[in-house]
Amino acid sequence: MTRRVVSVPLDGSDQALVAMPVARRLAELEGAVLHVIHVASAISPLADVIERIGLSAAELQGAVLDAKAGDPASGIIEAASERHSMFIVMCTHTGAAADTIVGRTALAVLRDAPCPVILVRPQRGVAPWMLKQVLLPHDSTPTTSATIGPAADLARKAGAELVVLHVADASGRLPDEHGSLPTSRYADQPQHEWPEWVKEFLDRLSCVCPLHALKVRLTLASGAPSEEVPRAAAGLAADLIVLAWRGEWGDDRAETVKAAIRGATCPVMVLRVRP
Amino acid sequence: MKVSPPLDRRFRLIAFDWEVAARTDDATAVCGPIDRLLRCGVTVVVVTAAPLDAIGSRFSRAISGRQKRNLFLATNRGAEVYGFDEALEPTLVWDDANAEAGGVGRAESPTWFLRGLAERSDIRPEEILVVSDDTESFTREAAPVRDDDPGAAPGGPVFVSVGPGPGGVPGILHLGGEPRLIGELLGAQAALHPVRLPATPEQDAEWVIVEDGFVPTREHEVESLFAIGNGFVGSRGSLAEGSPLSAPATFVAGIFDASPDTMPALARAPDWTHLTASLNGSRVGLDASESLEHRRVLDMRQGILWRLWRHRDRAGRVSHIQGMRLASLADRHLLLQSIAITPENYSEMMTLEIPALGRPEPIRMASGATLDLFAATRIEDPEGKWTPPPLDHERDGASEQWAIELELGRTYRLDRIAGVRTSRESYRTGTARDEVRDAYDDGLAAIVDAHRTAWQTRWDASDIVIDGDADAQRALRFAAYHLISAANPEDEFVSIGARALTGPAYKGHAFWDTEIFMLPFFTLTYPEAARALLMYRYHTLSAARARAKRFGYRGALYAWESADTGEDVTPSMVVAPTGDVIRILVGEEEHHISADVAYGVWSYWHSTADEQFLLRAGAEMLVETARFWASRVERGADGLHHIRRVIGPDEYHESVDDNAYTNGMAQWNLEIAAEVSALVAERWPERWNELSRRVGMESDEPREWRDIAAHMYTGLDPKTGLFEQFHGYFGLERIDLAAYEPRSVPMDVLLGRERTQKSQVIKQADVVMLVYLLWDRFPAWIREANFRYYEPRTGHGSSLSPPIHATVAARLGDVELAQRYLRETAAIDLANRMGNAAGGVHAGTLGGLWQAVAFGFAGLTLPAEGPRLAPSLPDAWRRLRFAIQWRGQRVPIDVSQGPPARGPTAEVSS
Repeated sequence: MTRRVVSVPLDGSDQALVAMPVARRLAELEGAVLHVIHVASAISPLADVIERIGLSAAELQGAVLDAKAGDPASGIIEAASERHSMFIVMCTHTGAAADTIVGRTALAVLRDAPCPVILVRPQRGVAPWMLKQVLLPHDSTPTTSATIGPAADLARKAGAELVVLHVADASGRLPDEHGSLPTSRYADQPQHEWPEWVKEFLDRLSCVCPLHALKVRLTLASGAPSEEVPRAAAGLAADLIVLAWRGEWGDDRAETVKAAIRGATCPVMVLRVRP
Repeated sequence: MKVSPPLDRRFRLIAFDWEVAARTDDATAVCGPIDRLLRCGVTVVVVTAAPLDAIGSRFSRAISGRQKRNLFLATNRGAEVYGFDEALEPTLVWDDANAEAGGVGRAESPTWFLRGLAERSDIRPEEILVVSDDTESFTREAAPVRDDDPGAAPGGPVFVSVGPGPGGVPGILHLGGEPRLIGELLGAQAALHPVRLPATPEQDAEWVIVEDGFVPTREHEVESLFAIGNGFVGSRGSLAEGSPLSAPATFVAGIFDASPDTMPALARAPDWTHLTASLNGSRVGLDASESLEHRRVLDMRQGILWRLWRHRDRAGRVSHIQGMRLASLADRHLLLQSIAITPENYSEMMTLEIPALGRPEPIRMASGATLDLFAATRIEDPEGKWTPPPLDHERDGASEQWAIELELGRTYRLDRIAGVRTSRESYRTGTARDEVRDAYDDGLAAIVDAHRTAWQTRWDASDIVIDGDADAQRALRFAAYHLISAANPEDEFVSIGARALTGPAYKGHAFWDTEIFMLPFFTLTYPEAARALLMYRYHTLSAARARAKRFGYRGALYAWESADTGEDVTPSMVVAPTGDVIRILVGEEEHHISADVAYGVWSYWHSTADEQFLLRAGAEMLVETARFWASRVERGADGLHHIRRVIGPDEYHESVDDNAYTNGMAQWNLEIAAEVSALVAERWPERWNELSRRVGMESDEPREWRDIAAHMYTGLDPKTGLFEQFHGYFGLERIDLAAYEPRSVPMDVLLGRERTQKSQVIKQADVVMLVYLLWDRFPAWIREANFRYYEPRTGHGSSLSPPIHATVAARLGDVELAQRYLRETAAIDLANRMGNAAGGVHAGTLGGLWQAVAFGFAGLTLPAEGPRLAPSLPDAWRRLRFAIQWRGQRVPIDVSQGPPARGPTAEVSS
């Protein structure tokens, strides 16, 4: 039987260590082994690696250390793939400028990771991490619904509330995908329309992943998703944002993902989805 | 039996000699193929020497459904011929007297009968097969039919002898001396009629709505759009085998149950469509197989939901499945589902598990109403043999279990008939089980035929034909289909909910949608249904009176949301997904509903001249609604009557004073009630006196109504021609709605409720609605001025708004704008990426769509002297045709696109 694994890449920087409390808690929730990945230009003796990553023996208790040589992103992805990792938990950036959204290594991992990647901003520090509120922004498309499984699973295990956020896009853009459920221009009688819309939205999610034994609610905001998601995360004091990412990162792309990573104080789980 | 020409073709009339068949070991074995042939519409004539008593009983036992009407027994060698009447009792249709009258000898009598039967049924000679063994008598009997040896000649009847040997009679096909060959020959004929569904799908693209493929998350929308119904019962178009998002539901009009929020909601009847099929233990389902083809078709012309599905399971087995489902429009208590399955590349055992519906006791609702639903299944094998439906056992909670040995390339059919009865139909005896038993006796073909005929009747009355715009054509038929499916002229105690019987949203509650948006369609194409809808309001008049009294008024204040009793069932609050707790005031303040009902009453009376309705119910409703307004107005310091603290159709603005629509409609209600009172008093004084006594009418009330109406504050500025939508409206913030386009949320969500209420943003047609409904009361410049002023301020936060704007824009000649609104209206249910219809179709909007074409583009108005047209057709519309009912007469309407300089030409035929 394959052991459940949560991977946490550490490059030896202090910033990288911010991923540890999140990774450790996730491993606890999942009953998984914490797998510390260190990728350097050359293989070093294990003692040197331990010293470089900045964790004490006590902090490494129960974890597996995997040191590799080569390109960091490739090494992380390779290790996570080999171990069938459930999540990769890593700092958004370590050596880059403070206003960087996602560093080069993290971005490369995002692109090719075999599992969801949870990004933690350096500013979060190493305070213990609890999971009580999971925020799931959802644009109503069936593609994005791929995020509901991991989000619901984590929330259920943590006893956390899952808050599904739909932002009615102020630009008026409607998703092209069949089976989407954007808000309607029409709310004939709000006393009927809103409960029905909420029910329908959640029904469509539960069609992808059953939502039983889970505290879940849907909330609606209007405006630009890139503004509303961080705002909602702050308002809810969310502990985790779960976001779908369609794999494009250029200018004018992934604006919500970028805004959430940059603007939210909590970790952001990015799940690459394919329409 | 391997058959060769000329026996390898299907015959439509088969006559055979019973005595030959009776010589076989099991004579009744021929009854199976005969039954099948009869069901396939083949006419069978049994020639026998026996009297009726002897032969009739054998067939009575073996053949019991309506297919028996295709059977004839020629007894005493044809001296008498018996058919079967409506009650399936034998009835003499031919005897010697007929023969003598025709100058025909007794020996030739059967032949003459066959000839007459063939002519009557439009059966050609080559479609007749005659089988016997007595070649001499055979020839003698057949001779008159065979003018020149037709048995041997192409294009004539075929004569077959199974007698002991050739008798040298020309034109007779000898099959040898085996009596059993008759049974085999009949069996072979039956096999030439393959197992198939009892109808065929409509092919005309303008009569169908098609959903190809399967998008799981879209399923609720599809279920609504493809719902079937007949006004008594409606069933969502759910997949029979289900899917993760399937929400099958069958609703019965008027059967409400308590919902979690305590407001009554239409009850969900047990799912009569569901079945679980497995092949060698492997479940058949869209999520458990690969769909090679999956198509659902709403056949609006026939009122049938079709499904075509070719699927390949994980073992590679390919099955071809075709299904149909209908809610009988001919017998509203019947639902039917028929599924044909053909294994394309395998032979395998299929098991079916079908919920057994039919409790010993009906289901009792919180309201006290009961619902009795019974369903039973039968299976037909490729030989046409039926496994009969289990009709007799109690089946509470059990399942029907079927195992069918499927044979490669052959087709099997499953029929399921459900009967629905409720405690509300005290006039009807028997149970749902009786309905199903009778239906099986009648036969599916008869049920389907009657259903299709009923739909054809409706379409003859209701269809709008648009030449040149296939999308608009389909949308109009979609609207008419669901409106027809929602109405039941036989039931005066139900209205049509906002989502009709197609979904759970709005809980089946009826609003002003019925009288203002749907009723015109019914009044002008299906007046019996319109009458029944208005009678619902009459039967709930006592609740409306009590409601007015509770608010401190006289007369009748109808419920904003109405269910079975007519009491108001509007929720008092809702928590929006934004987190806002919204107090719902429409139940307390949206009083224009009473004038809307009155408008429906008067419009019906005006268009039908249905005196019985007026005297029994209509006049009383007009009186009581007028009384309400007379007590509702407040006389102001300006000497005018004001109506304060109301909500108009524009529900963004609550607790306003002098809403133009409310005041205008109240004014009209008062005037029309006075007018009708005078009419009734003059023409039917006894009825008027009786009504006056019954409702405690004072003699000067109509005068008082006129006086109030004459001094009603209307908000009209005579200089600009503008009505102020309510007191203070003109001073509110103007918001440029165009700056928010495109948008996917209502304006009150974008702006927030507070800012919306302080702005001029309107939810839906309000003053424009007033102008539309009372069109002839206003000069053209006032109509134009108000539309141009309010249209840009309207956010269309209600689906009821675009169709009214389409109608008024078309009437004003702004065809481009009207077309835009028409497309928006059609898209509300039919656009496939909005999800609007998940909880059911928008019945009011669909009624509005019909109005947009009839009253808008055709420019139909109904002055007392008769229908008039002032069309404005879009360029692409070459011709627009429909018909209306006007005071008992069918009035065809034909509008054509004329030369550009002349514009459209219109014709109203009498």
